[in-house]
This record gives sequence, C-alpha cells and structure tokens, in this order.
Amino acid sequence: MTFEALKQMKRMKANLRGSASLILLLGTLAIFLLANVLSPYGPNEIGVGDHFAPPSGAHLFGTDNLGRDLLSRILFGGRITVLIALGATSIALILGSAWGILAGIRGGWIDEFLMRTADALMAVPLILFALFCISALGSSVASLILVAGILLSPSTARMARSAVKAELASPYVVSAVASGFSKVRLVWNEVMVNIAPQLLVQISINAASAVMLEATLSFVGFGLQPPNASLGTLILQGYAQIYNSIWFVLFPVITVMMTILVFNNYGEQLRLSLDSKRSSS
Amino acid sequence: MRNFILRRAASSAIVLVLSVVTVFLSIRILPGDPVLLKYGAQTGATPAALDALRESAGLNHPMLVQLMIWLGGVVRGDFGTSFISQLPVSELVGQRIPATLELTFFIVIIASILSVLLVLIAIRKPGSATDRFIGYVTSIGFSTPSFIIGIILVYIFALRWHILPSQGFKPMDLGVVQNMKLMILPAFTGAMVVSPYLIKYLRTSILETRVSSYVRTAKGKGLSSSAVLFRHILPNSIVPTLTMLGMIVGFALGGVFVIEYMFAVPGIGSLAIESASARDYSVLQGVSVVVIAFFIITTFVFDLVCGFVDPRQRVLQVKSR
Repeated sequence: MTFEALKQMKRMKANLRGSASLILLLGTLAIFLLANVLSPYGPNEIGVGDHFAPPSGAHLFGTDNLGRDLLSRILFGGRITVLIALGATSIALILGSAWGILAGIRGGWIDEFLMRTADALMAVPLILFALFCISALGSSVASLILVAGILLSPSTARMARSAVKAELASPYVVSAVASGFSKVRLVWNEVMVNIAPQLLVQISINAASAVMLEATLSFVGFGLQPPNASLGTLILQGYAQIYNSIWFVLFPVITVMMTILVFNNYGEQLRLSLDSKRSSS
Repeated sequence: MRNFILRRAASSAIVLVLSVVTVFLSIRILPGDPVLLKYGAQTGATPAALDALRESAGLNHPMLVQLMIWLGGVVRGDFGTSFISQLPVSELVGQRIPATLELTFFIVIIASILSVLLVLIAIRKPGSATDRFIGYVTSIGFSTPSFIIGIILVYIFALRWHILPSQGFKPMDLGVVQNMKLMILPAFTGAMVVSPYLIKYLRTSILETRVSSYVRTAKGKGLSSSAVLFRHILPNSIVPTLTMLGMIVGFALGGVFVIEYMFAVPGIGSLAIESASARDYSVLQGVSVVVIAFFIITTFVFDLVCGFVDPRQRVLQVKSR
C-alpha cells in the first residue's frame, strides 16, 4: 500500500467520524424538537402509571413520584433545555462576535479595553454571575436564555478576536488593503466567511456549556416552576427521590450527559478537521 | 524580575477593579429595588417611610457616588450589612471561608495526585489501549456537570455501600475523623470535575517535551527512560502545569458552589446560592468580591512562581502582549 493510499484512508476515517458526529447532533436535536410527536404520554399528566414504576413496556423509562411517564417528561424537558441552549448560543454568537471582531479590527486602546473587560468577566465564575442575574430576573425560559447567552459572550469574543487577527495578517487581506479595499467591507465580505468554521466550533462548545449551565442552575433551584421541567429540574426532582427510585434520577442524568457529549463531540471533530486542513495547506 | 512583578501586579489590579465594579454595576442595573424587596410587603410601609430608608441606605445618591462609597467600604473590609439578617456581610462571609478553603485545598491536592498518576500511566505508551481509555474517560469528564458526579458518588458510597455520609459538615476542631469523613465525597467530586483539564494539559505538555532535542540527547547518552522522565521531562513540564494549577484553583472555586450546596457544606459557595435565593444582594455582592479577589490573587501568585522558576516567562510575556 502506498503512502498516499494510507493517507487517503486516514482522511476517510476522519470524515466518517465527522459525519457521524453531525448525524448524532442532528438526531439529538430532532428527537427533542419532535417531543410532542414522540412522547407516549403528556409530560404533566399525573397518574398514567404507578408511582416510581421501574422501566417497562408501557413506560420505557419508568414513572416518577406522581406517576408521570418519565420518558415523556424527559423528551419535553430536553426540548426546553435544547431551546435554551440554541437561544443562548445565538445571543452569544451575535454579541460575542461583534465584540471580538470590533476589538480585532480596531486594535489599539479599544482592543485593550474590550479584551480587559472580557478578561474581567471571565474572572468571575460563570455560576456566580448566573446566580446574580437569575435571582434578579426570576427564572423563566427567556431569562435563562438571556443569562446563559450573555455569560458565554466573553469567551466567544476572545475566540472571534484571535480568528480575525490571524485572518487580517494573511496575505490576501494585506494585498486587498494595499490595493485600496475598504476594511469594513473586506471584513464583512471575506473575513467573516473565512472565520465562520471557527465560529461554528465555538457555537457547539457554547451549546454544550449552555446545557451544562441550565442543568446546574436548575439543580440549585433556579430552574422552571413546576409542573414544567427542563432536564436540570428533572435531575433535581429525581435526586430528591433517590431513596425511592434510582431510575427517576438515572435517566435524566444520562440524557444530560449524552446531550452535552454530542455537542462537544461535534465541536471537537470540527476543530480537528480545521486543524488538519491548516497544517496540510 | 522587579519589572515583571510590577507589570503582573498592575494588570491583576486592573482586572480586579474592573470585575469588582462590574459586580456593583450589575446589581444596580438589574431590576429589583432592595428596599421595596425588604419592606414592600410589610403593612404600614408608606412611600415616605420607604424613601427615608432609601435615603439612609444611601440609595438616593448618584450611581458614581454610591460606587465610591461602596468601594471605600470594601477597601476597609466593610461590605455593608445583609438586607435580610441585618448582620455585617463581612462577618457572614468570614464564617464561611474556612470550610471553602478546606474543601478547595483537598480538591486541588486530590486532583493533582490523581491526574499526575493517570498521566504517568497514560504516557508510558502513547496511543496504547490504556492511553486511549484514559483519553475517553477524560473527554467524558469534560462533559459531566459537577453535580452529576456528586450524584453518582453519593449513590455508590452513601446509598449502596453505606460507608460515607451523603452530606453535612463538622468543623475540624470538633473531631478530625468526622470532618474528614464528611469531606471525602465533596472533595472527590470536585477533584473529578477538575482532573480532566489537568490530565489533558499535562499529557500534551509532557508529549511535547518528549520530542524535544535535549530529551533525544539524554536518551542518546544512555540514560534510562525513568531517569529521562524524572530528571528531564517532568521538570520541564512543571511550568505549564503550574500555570494550569493556578487555573485549576479558579475552576475549583467556581465548581465549589454547586458541590458545597449539594453536600450541605457551609462555605461561601452555598452562602452565595442561599443569598441569591433570598435575593440578599449585599451578601451576594460581598461573596462575589471575595471569590473574585481570591481567584485573581491566586492567578497572580502562580504567574509569579512561574516567572521565578522559568526566567523565560518574564521576558516572553512582554512580547506576546
């Protein structure tokens, strides 16, 4: 086997992994977003089964303390969690990339100020800031989205800035500027397109962090009000009943971990393929 | 060296001031009038009385003046009084610091031992089954929120095997054994949250050192592989690891909130969560300042140690800025 063929095989294997991670991601999103189609019962329907029933044919994940079907609750809870993650990620993307790109193209004291602010915000543990905001805004889907979105912006800004800086130093930008292109148009038309893949990596990492943040906030009691529940709320409720039933806490825990893993894995695969592209060119 | 210390100190101070100001401003910007929150629901609270209260609490001054008054207090160690319990915030926070320090200490120690051991096992044969297994476990660790690790440990050790208590805290002076017994689960939870970062970082930096030319030379002159590892590779992986350890202390501090809360450890993390539930903003403010200051000072100290151990750090940082 020639060296080229080996390399080709390696690339195909990497491609396969990448596609698999994307399919997993889309599949997870689809399952949660189609919760109302897939759920066998209503999420808040009380007494569709016994209390704390173990998994069975009628209730695949068992039932909770009020006899609600756990699978349905997880599907609907997951939908809320995923919506929060997507909303937060969009806010972080818009706010963070505007922040980072501005710092990257302006440079000088504006850059210094914007990045020091980002540093300062990142010095505060995420959860502490989240506590502040949630206790003031109250816990609702909208405030969870807003808080998670704002909290994820500084790291997004950092990433966007370094991507823009690297891009601005590349030969095509230098020659375009030299031949009199306006910098703003250049950034908007060319640089933005070129840093999009790197932003996509950040987006999937952000989505994973948002799921984690939502679950954490809900776990310490700043989640949605019952009977509505996100995945984090379900873990909290399940943990309170851990002496009665292990299933009630086990399935939400697995779901949260899988969701975070799927987002992180996609980001990781994407980053790997970007890195290999850069090193081979 | 003196220049290096001064420069790091200045930049730490700027970040400290910026974040403390952010803490203050975010409380003022967020909706919710503290006076109304406390007295609004009581009968006989007339608008005039509320206004008088606001005046006495200094809430009628312009924002900038309030900020200066508050900052002045903070510098003197006066964080104001709790809206709810009327106790000085510094006293409330002070009572909670020992538990958090103890927990953070154990987390950092356990995490360091755990990660160094695992990395030493993993890099004996990079790419082997063991190495990949440790890699998978690490990446699962990245995706696991702290409280989930806590739940798993509580289930195994408290519910199944009944060998450790599931929550609580006893001060050290009431019995070291009791204290330790209650500390084991929260400390291990924290360590397992932090370790993945340490493992990944340490492994990369050791592998990078391993391919460098001086290691090749050491091997070439016939040193045994363990001598190369302990005399050449490990010392040179120390600096990046120290930087990382500084960050770990920060992570541990951030993660400690939920862990303290779920294991009922009376530290500043659980104080923050309690005061956030009660909307006791002045306490929350005080906790934030303490946590942020602690975080920044740790980073600063670790930076200095790195600069001390590795003279290149003192110069290189000027260039990268």
